[in-house]
Amino acid sequence: MTSAQFEIQLIASLVAIACAIPGTFLVLRKMAMISDAISHSILPGIVVGFFISHNINSPLLIVLAALTGVITVVLVEFIQKTGLVKEDTAIGLVFPAMFSIGVLLIAQNANDVHLDIDAVLLGEIAFAPFDRIYWEDYDLGPKSLWVIGTILLITIALLITFFKELKVSTFDAQLSAALGFSPAIIHYGLMSVASVTTVGAFDAVGAILVVALMIAPAATAYLLTEDLKKMLGISIVSGVFSAIVGYWVANFLDASIAGSITTVLGVLFFITYLFAPKKGIIAVLHRQRQQKVEVSLLTFLLHLHNHTEENERHLDHLQDEINWQRGTSKRVVDLALKNNMITINNQIVSLTDKGKLFTEEAISYIISNKKSEIEEMKSRFFLFRG
Amino acid sequence: MQEQNAIKVDDLTVAYNYKPVLWDIDLVIPEGVLMAIVGPNGAGKSTLIKSILGIIKPLAGSVKVFGKPYQKQRDKVAYVPQKGSVDWDFPTTALDVVMMGTYGSLGWIKRPGKKEKKASLEALEKVGMLPFQNRQISQLSGGQQQRIFLARALVQNASIYLMDEPFQGVDATTEKAIIQILKELRKAGKTVIVVHHDLQTVPEYFDWVTFLNVKKIATGPVKDIFNDDNLTKTYGINYKVSMQK
Repeated sequence: MTSAQFEIQLIASLVAIACAIPGTFLVLRKMAMISDAISHSILPGIVVGFFISHNINSPLLIVLAALTGVITVVLVEFIQKTGLVKEDTAIGLVFPAMFSIGVLLIAQNANDVHLDIDAVLLGEIAFAPFDRIYWEDYDLGPKSLWVIGTILLITIALLITFFKELKVSTFDAQLSAALGFSPAIIHYGLMSVASVTTVGAFDAVGAILVVALMIAPAATAYLLTEDLKKMLGISIVSGVFSAIVGYWVANFLDASIAGSITTVLGVLFFITYLFAPKKGIIAVLHRQRQQKVEVSLLTFLLHLHNHTEENERHLDHLQDEINWQRGTSKRVVDLALKNNMITINNQIVSLTDKGKLFTEEAISYIISNKKSEIEEMKSRFFLFRG
Repeated sequence: MQEQNAIKVDDLTVAYNYKPVLWDIDLVIPEGVLMAIVGPNGAGKSTLIKSILGIIKPLAGSVKVFGKPYQKQRDKVAYVPQKGSVDWDFPTTALDVVMMGTYGSLGWIKRPGKKEKKASLEALEKVGMLPFQNRQISQLSGGQQQRIFLARALVQNASIYLMDEPFQGVDATTEKAIIQILKELRKAGKTVIVVHHDLQTVPEYFDWVTFLNVKKIATGPVKDIFNDDNLTKTYGINYKVSMQK
């Protein structure tokens, strides 16, 4: 690995971390699309900053771009507050308008500079190591590394300092207001961080990947944990993982680094979406199936409990009358047998003592609607185990 | 001894988009009462509570808490929002939600420590939720979630408790448990104000009541003013409440 390769991966990883932190809160606040809006609408800020400073490296660009990001949020909220359109419509109105102003400004005035639309949308992290900072003759490293490193340090410092405030205002804005933690201040603080991070990251990875790096790791983490701190941790790890793996995929395929990182992010999310232990689609389907079998079992036991007549408890009758498919009947009868709830003599099914006890308890809990008691009872009777 | 006013509302008017939701409300809530705010949907009950807490900025009027603006008395007031106002899928535990009640006394930046955790565990115990302290909040039943909210208010150790429909969507056992705790609070000299929907239970649960429908209809002791006349004025139809107790 050359030092340029190392630097690219380092920059991509720092960008991933800097994006994952505000991204986690955006996802929890159901504001994922706002990051898309910010990433596009900071363009006029960058362009105007360039016109004023005539220097693509001026910090003024970052300040003005961050300011346009916040202005976007304010405009979206203003339009939304009129009650005439919904939030998604407001976002869809504001950011293309802002972005197009930026595009027009570039086309009119800045054709001859390094500000072109492709670079803005896609970024080019591969060139990041060439743009270096020197002090006297001493090489201090790539400029992007310094920019994103500074932004990341500030973000981490703010996160640690205001973690409690961020948490309470995200979970319960009204309580937050009543306790004296102004949700508006925290909201705009978060939006400023998101804007600054976007600006800092976008030079390296472009507007589209910034959105992916903010939202995809947080969405992945959301499916894997039920703890805010762990969610932040998993977001960061999956962002960095995608950045590094994405880099090597791009290297291998000789493709765009930004595109490869985004692809890895998407694949990672998709795998999590399928296989997450609790919230993944497979786990959910499995749980639903199990619940169906549980309910069927209870229905079956209830039927046995209600009928002492032998003809009502004949296996064939059960199939005909309860109207289950052969597979369902077999699964339910097997489950009941395995748990010693029933005995079968000459095709006649009878409840065992344990079966009777289980059924009676279940009936009483169902009547009094005590869900948690049913859960507790299931584990007590070792249902679905062994 | 002269009784002190817990809350004094003067000429309060709140409007959303020029439509008045609360109109010229004057309201005095004495210290130590357990009061229900009743009124039809859209009567401004939640808005009244939020205005007292400064969450909503009124068009006109003022609110005093123990004689001073709310902003100077935050530590004396605890608030229980409607259960539906938050996302219960938020990644956190029951204990953590209760700990949020301690944030107010900590102020900005400072983090909760051992003392706050101990107080939160005690509050959880009071509402019978100690065994669920590490449960993720989405895995709690509606009644349990409401108990968590109550515990979060208890941990603030306030003098005034403002609650927005704490009985909404809870089972009968939880309702009884909650009202028991509210009665204990009153016994301890606290003022408890509850937005309430079930008129049948007003005489049993509360000693003070405010009738509200955009304007204030009446306020006072339940035994004096909870009658068909005020109910009819508030709900607009000929109301025959079962006062046969």
